[in-house]
Order: sequence, then structure tokens, then C-alpha cells
Amino acid sequence: MDRNQSHRNRRRALKALHFTGLFLTMMIICIPGLWIVLNSFRPTVEIMAKPAIWVPSFTLEHYRAMFAGAGEGGVPVFSYFRNSLIVSVTSTLIAILIGMSGGYAFARYRFKGKNGYFVGLMLFRAVPGVALSLPLFIVFAKAGIIDTHLGLILAYVAMNVPFTIWLTDGFFRQIPRELHEAAEIDGCTRWQAFWKVEFPVARSGVASAAIFAFLTSWNEFALASQLTRSVGSKTMPVGLLDFTAEFTINWGGMCALAVLMIVPALILTFIVQKHLIAGLTFGGVKG
Amino acid sequence: MTRRRLPEWFVLLLPAIIVIAAVVLIPLLFSLYSSFTPYKLTRPSTLWKWVGTYNYEKILSDAKFWAAFGRTVLFLTIVLNLELLLGLGIALMMNKVTWGQRTLRTILMFPMMFSPILVGFQFKFIFNDNIGLVNNVLQSMGFDAALPWLVDGKLAMFSIMFAEIWMSTSVFAILILAGLFAMPRDPLEAAKVDGCTPWQSFRHITLPFLMPFIYIAMTIRSLDVARAYDIVQIMTGGGPARRTELLWTLMSRTGYVDARMGLANAMGYVSIILSILFTIYFFRKLSAARAELGMAG
Amino acid sequence: MTEVTLSQVVKKYGQHQAVHGIDLDIHDGEFVVLVGPSGCGKSTTLRMIAGLEDISGGEVAIGGRVVNDLPPRERNISMVFQNYALYPHMTVRENLGFSLRIAKQPEAEIAKAVDEAASILGLNELMDRKPAALSGGQRQRVAMGRAIVRHPDVFLFDEPLSNLDAKLRTQMRVEIKKLHQKVESTIIYVTHDQVEAMTLADRIVLMRDGHIVQVGTPLELFNTPVDTFVATFIGSPPMNLVDGVVRQGQITLDGGITVPVPVTAGALREGQAVKFGFRADNLMPVGHAVEDEGAVYELDLPVTLTEPLGTETLLFTKMAGGEVQAKMFNPRPVAPGEQLRFRLMLDKCHVFDATSGLAVRG
Repeated sequence: MDRNQSHRNRRRALKALHFTGLFLTMMIICIPGLWIVLNSFRPTVEIMAKPAIWVPSFTLEHYRAMFAGAGEGGVPVFSYFRNSLIVSVTSTLIAILIGMSGGYAFARYRFKGKNGYFVGLMLFRAVPGVALSLPLFIVFAKAGIIDTHLGLILAYVAMNVPFTIWLTDGFFRQIPRELHEAAEIDGCTRWQAFWKVEFPVARSGVASAAIFAFLTSWNEFALASQLTRSVGSKTMPVGLLDFTAEFTINWGGMCALAVLMIVPALILTFIVQKHLIAGLTFGGVKG
Repeated sequence: MTRRRLPEWFVLLLPAIIVIAAVVLIPLLFSLYSSFTPYKLTRPSTLWKWVGTYNYEKILSDAKFWAAFGRTVLFLTIVLNLELLLGLGIALMMNKVTWGQRTLRTILMFPMMFSPILVGFQFKFIFNDNIGLVNNVLQSMGFDAALPWLVDGKLAMFSIMFAEIWMSTSVFAILILAGLFAMPRDPLEAAKVDGCTPWQSFRHITLPFLMPFIYIAMTIRSLDVARAYDIVQIMTGGGPARRTELLWTLMSRTGYVDARMGLANAMGYVSIILSILFTIYFFRKLSAARAELGMAG
Repeated sequence: MTEVTLSQVVKKYGQHQAVHGIDLDIHDGEFVVLVGPSGCGKSTTLRMIAGLEDISGGEVAIGGRVVNDLPPRERNISMVFQNYALYPHMTVRENLGFSLRIAKQPEAEIAKAVDEAASILGLNELMDRKPAALSGGQRQRVAMGRAIVRHPDVFLFDEPLSNLDAKLRTQMRVEIKKLHQKVESTIIYVTHDQVEAMTLADRIVLMRDGHIVQVGTPLELFNTPVDTFVATFIGSPPMNLVDGVVRQGQITLDGGITVPVPVTAGALREGQAVKFGFRADNLMPVGHAVEDEGAVYELDLPVTLTEPLGTETLLFTKMAGGEVQAKMFNPRPVAPGEQLRFRLMLDKCHVFDATSGLAVRG
């Protein structure tokens, strides 16, 4: 009886510990983000107040200023948003096409030095953005594509291709080879067999690889900060810097722009989270 | 068979190879060359002057460089290990959750989707000594002094690590959790019947099974350790007085502020080699762990 | 006319040679089964006929046309895969009609052909389901339906039944045979299961290590195996082989039993080491045989183990130091260790050379 009792107590204690730990983890994950959202709705006076004001008031002042455009000393958010969207979407589409073709090669063909090629491609992804931005700046300047969408798109395609290969390789590998063979016997060319059978089957996986590439482009800063100069090509992560002056930072305005950046990312993440995990683990585990 | 042509796999890989060569390889070759010149952006003619390994000798004998290098390695070691441990802990806790797991898992993924620069600003705000959340809370609880989170060298390093860990622990937690889901139940049950304590069955059964997943997470992380640059650049810019200077911030200051491209590119190469070593190391660990569990093929 | 002809067909993977110059003529409408242990090259041969593997040497001709370099879609064949290879994103109807749609047939004709195939295989109820919602047997049927829809010249089956449970396998075997009677096309069927080969084939091609060992009707392989490999591979239980030596016109088995040389055997040298082979059906306890036995040889053997199968019982006995299986019809209980008098039917016995394994036949 006693032993049962002690085991029961122990189990209860563990349960409480488990709950507390989980609760704290979730708090730490959520509070910083919520803090940003909250402050995007607070008047600047209140953000700067000393001592701190704990009961927040509500204002749309920062959003109004942000969307009012550059004329009133605000930040040209629309242009930044548009640039981000154009660059991210285009680079994602191209990276997916190129990456899918590479991923397919790794998943379906046997060739000498396959592992070497794979790791080699990944290593290019490991080159730090800062280290690349210095020479890339000079090369792009020579090519005359500094401060253009094209330049940034090119850079992001190169950056996203290796990881897209990793993910799509994993997804294609999950599809039995016989499916392709059956399609060929049913009268398909290799090209048809891919688009009519393998691609539709791997569709959700490819979609999550696309979203991953999109988010990488959407969030990238180190390259964008050097390759873009003007309102015509600056993306939102670079735009965040517009809220900083020599000694002060417009926190409210920055938070509002941050919210604008996060919301699309969160929605996309929510849609693909399941496939994303599958892709990462299949790519790696069943290598 | 009769016609001589490029193998199909190569044709399929070609676009990837071309784009990477054009956008990454060529600039890297250029920077490799320029790292042997005293190239300054302001004086283009300096690009044609060959100085041999002068830049490398200079950085290798520079105490500031070595300080930044050592700090970077230390930073990565601490951060990666803590992320792994915390990620493992979170995954184990999540695995035990019976209710609302999907929601919790989605929340867990949030930080992965934050732009690193945004994470930098976010924590710059939260750790602000005057109006930051942390100090406000501390002061409301009765602490008088405002802690100089980003001004004091040690506290600044802590704040940066906190931000970095906040951003990247999710990768580990999510992938390890996926490993836990994929784990077969039988061995654990057999261990229980055989009389293993929870710790023993974790140590001898769960952990070995999770190793490939841990290495996947490590490999993925090692691909973009340099994201920390964005955070540090925003939060402290390497300051105060170079106390949080990492390889990447030092390089960007040398290149962009001082315009000494040759020197900066030499540092760039050191950082590239560092990143590549990390990646190769974890790739090897990954294939070894895979082979051990018979998952290869 | 769609005969399939293989001449000197070779498959190499780098240094490793998987198929060593195979010659085979398959007639129009014939049901040929390629059978052999795993790794014998049977699947590779089938895949070369299908066009899924490059042919390293020799020629494959379908309907008199050499197809070595043609892609699968130009060979007018269809294939049923081991794991069915149904398209998971399409319904059963779409799966069946896929090949015709690729060939840009008019929709009305596609619908007609699909319905016809569906009713042959009893799939009408399942047409709007996706493969994931089908059972193993149903998937198998859809895979077969997909194969017959386009009226190919040749059907290829690659171990189609090995993923089914035993009962379903027997049932599908019958359906495949019926299907063949209905469509009258040439069928090439690969399996590692000799029962499938025996029951389905017009002709069996038995392969080992990339070579053809014997080609013939099921009964030819069963009754006149060319060597010990065929003898033990075909038939269940496998043929008993006992080591022996030729002495003075008789065969002395290890352990001292001496049996007369069967009339079917050819010339034997004095002192030649042989393997003496007979099937369990040809060693029966006295009084339990079912047919006229011809020349017999009687001997006493101890029973070590019995396996009752209903109409018959398998008896495990010791003979010449080895284990030998016998059969008893009209069974009665036999206690382990019991001595029984057995009759060996000499006319049905085989003699193989011990070193080459080849049958010695007159």
C-alpha cells in the first residue's frame, strides 16, 4: 500500500512539474511576439513612459502613420511590402523549379559521387550571408544590378536552391519508383510521367518547400541590406532600419511594420507545418 | 545508348549548379582573389596590387580578430548546446502532452518564422535599459537600478544569446519531436518489462534512436549559424567596446565602414571555412548515426 | 501475332553480370512463367522486356520487331507491379483510364473500355474510390484492370501476388488464369513461388544465377528435371536426394541400403558417385498407395515425425543417414519411432551425377 501511495505522489509531482515547465516554455515563446503586437497599438508616450504604464491604451496611430506613406515623414511601407512580395514570390518560384529538378536527380538517379554533390551543394548554403554580401555587392555593381529586384531575386534563388533540393529530394524519395515506371508503361514520356504522376503526388511536399523558401527570402537581411539602396528595391527587413535614427528608435512604428511582416509568415507556417517536418526528416533520415 | 550525351541526372542538376556558380561561386572566387590584394572600395586601382598573404598575416596577428574568432566559437558552442538541451527537453515535454498538442506544436514553430533582424529588434526593445519589458518588470517588483542589459559587456552577451536561443531552439524541438513520434513503441515496452528505470530506457533506447534527428537539426542549424549576425548587428552592433564583437560583425565593419575589402574578404574566408567545417562535421555525424541505425539506403 | 523473342540477352551492372545471354521464344497467346530464387535475374529479364532496364547485349523482339532501344510506351505492353503502383492521387476510374487518356483516345471510348475492364474484374462498385481506400485484393484487381484496359500485345506480371495473404493469393491465381483465357494475350509472369508457376504456366522458365536452367511445361519440369536444382525447386515437398555410389549395376546408398537402378536412368559408370532422387509421393507405406506402382523396391524405415494434412500425411523418416519425406494416403495415426515397411516406386526415381548435378537419363 505504502509503495503504491508513494508512487502515486511521485506521479502527481511529476505531472505538476511537467505542466509548469510547459507553461513557462510557452510563455517565453509567446511573450516577445505578443509584446511587439501590443506595442504596435500603444501611443509612443505610453511606450516611453517612466515608470511603466501597465494598463495599455489603444491607438492605431502607428498603423495610420505607416500607411500614410513617405509624405508625412513616415516610411514607404507599401513600396517595401511590394518589393518584398515581388522578390520573395519570384525567387521562390524559380528556386522551386530549379531545386525540384535537382532534388529529383538526387532522388531518382544513381551516379558516382552523389553524396559529394549533395554535401557540396549544401555547403554553398552554409556560406554566411555577410561574407557573401561583400563580393556579391562588387560583382552585382559591375553587372549593374545593384538596387534592382533582379539582383535580389538572383541572390535569393541561389540561396534557396540547396535547401529546396534537400526537401524535395526527401519528398520524391517517398514516392515508389514503380509509380513512374507504371506511368511510362501506360504510355507516358518521362516528362509526362513526372508532371502527371510524381509531381501531383509530391505536391504538398513541394508546396511546403516553397513556403520555406519564401520565408527565407521574406526574412533575409544581410544580403538585402547591401544589395538594395532605394525605395524601389528595399525589402521590409531593411525597411525596419528606417525607424531608427541616430539616437532614437520609433518603437511603435517599428512594431507596426513588424506585425505586417510576421502575419503572412505565421499564416503560411500554420498551413504547412505538418509537411515541413516530414520533409526535413525524410530528407535527412532516409538519406 | 548509341548517342553520346550528358547523363540525365546531370542535366537536371545543371540549373542548380549554374545559378549557384554564378551567384555564389564567382563572387567567392573574386573575394578569394581580393583577399590577396589591399583592395579598398574607395580606390579601385588597389584591386590590381598583389600583396600575397599580407591580409591573412595581418588578421592572424591581430588580437582583435582573435578575440572575435574565439568569441564566435565560444558563442556557437554555448548556443548550440543549450539549444539542443532545451529542444530535447521541450520535445520530451510535448511528447507527453495528451491534449492540444497540435496547437502547442504550432506555437512552438513561431520563432522559426521570425526574421532574424526582427528578433534582434524585438529583444533590443525588450532588453532596453530604459523602457524595456524586462527592466520594467524588475522595477515594478521593487528593484531600483535599471540593469544595463545591452550596455554591460557580459549582460549584452547574455541578451544576445537569449535572443539567439529563443529564435533557434524550435528547430531542435520540432525535429526531435518528429523523431519521438516516429519511434517504435515495442523496444520501450520491452525495456519497461525488462526492468529499466525511466532514465535507463531514455539513455539506452530513446536517445540512440533520436540521434539522427538531432544531427539533422544540427546540420540544418549549422547551415545558417551566421544568422546570428543580424541579431548582434541590431542589438549591439558588436559593442559595447567590442565586447560582443563576432567574426561577422567585425568583417562587416571592416568591409563596409572602413571599406577595406581585401582585409574583410580575408576574414570572410575564415568565417566561411568555420561554417563549412561545422556543416561537414554534422553531415558526417548524421551519416554515421544513420548507418548505425540501419536507416541508410 | 505477338510472340516475344529473346536472343542472347545480357544485363550487366558495371562489373556484375545479372543475366548471362538468355535465349527464349514465347509464342503468341502463351502464358510463360519465369521462376527462380531471388537474385536469379528473372525480374531483370522482365524489366528488360518492359523497357525499364537498358539491355546490355543481345536482342529483345516483340511481335517480330526489335525493341531494344524503344521506350516502354512504344512497346505496347502493360505491366502489373508487385506493389501495384496505383496512382494515389487518382480514383479507380482515373487509374484505369490513364493510359488511354495519355494516348488521347476520345472520352467516350475511354469510358467504354474502362467500364468493360471494370466489369471483367468486378470493380464497378469501387470506381470513385482512391487507392488508399481499397483493400489489398482490390488494389491488385485495379492494377490488373489498368493493364487490360488498353489491350496490349503482351502482359507482364512482376510478382503480383506476393503482397497478398495466402487465401487471397489462391483466389487471385484463379482469376489471373481466367483472365488469360478471356483476353488470350501473351503473358509473361515472374514469381519466386513454384506453386504459382506450376498452376499458372503453359510453360515454365526456371532460372538460376542469370542462366536459364530448364524450359518446359509444368509436368515436364516436375517429371523430368534436368538437374538436382530443378528437382528440388519444383514440387512440394522438394524431391528427396540421397547420396550413393554405383556398384555392380546397383546403387549402394550411404548407410548400406542397395537399390536397383531405375529403368529410366541412362548409362552409369561403375563407381560413379550419384544422387538418388525420388519424390515423397513415390515412397509410401505398404498398403497406402493409390495407383499401380510398377516396379517397386521394399524397405523398412523408422518414422521420426508426422505432418497430417488431411487426405494425406507427410512422414519424415531416416534413410541412408539423411532425412527423407514419404507420403501416406488414407492416413492412420503413426507414433514417432514406429518402423514401417515402405515401397519405393522405382519407375519414378531419378539418378543425378553427384558432381555435376545433371540428371542421368536414358
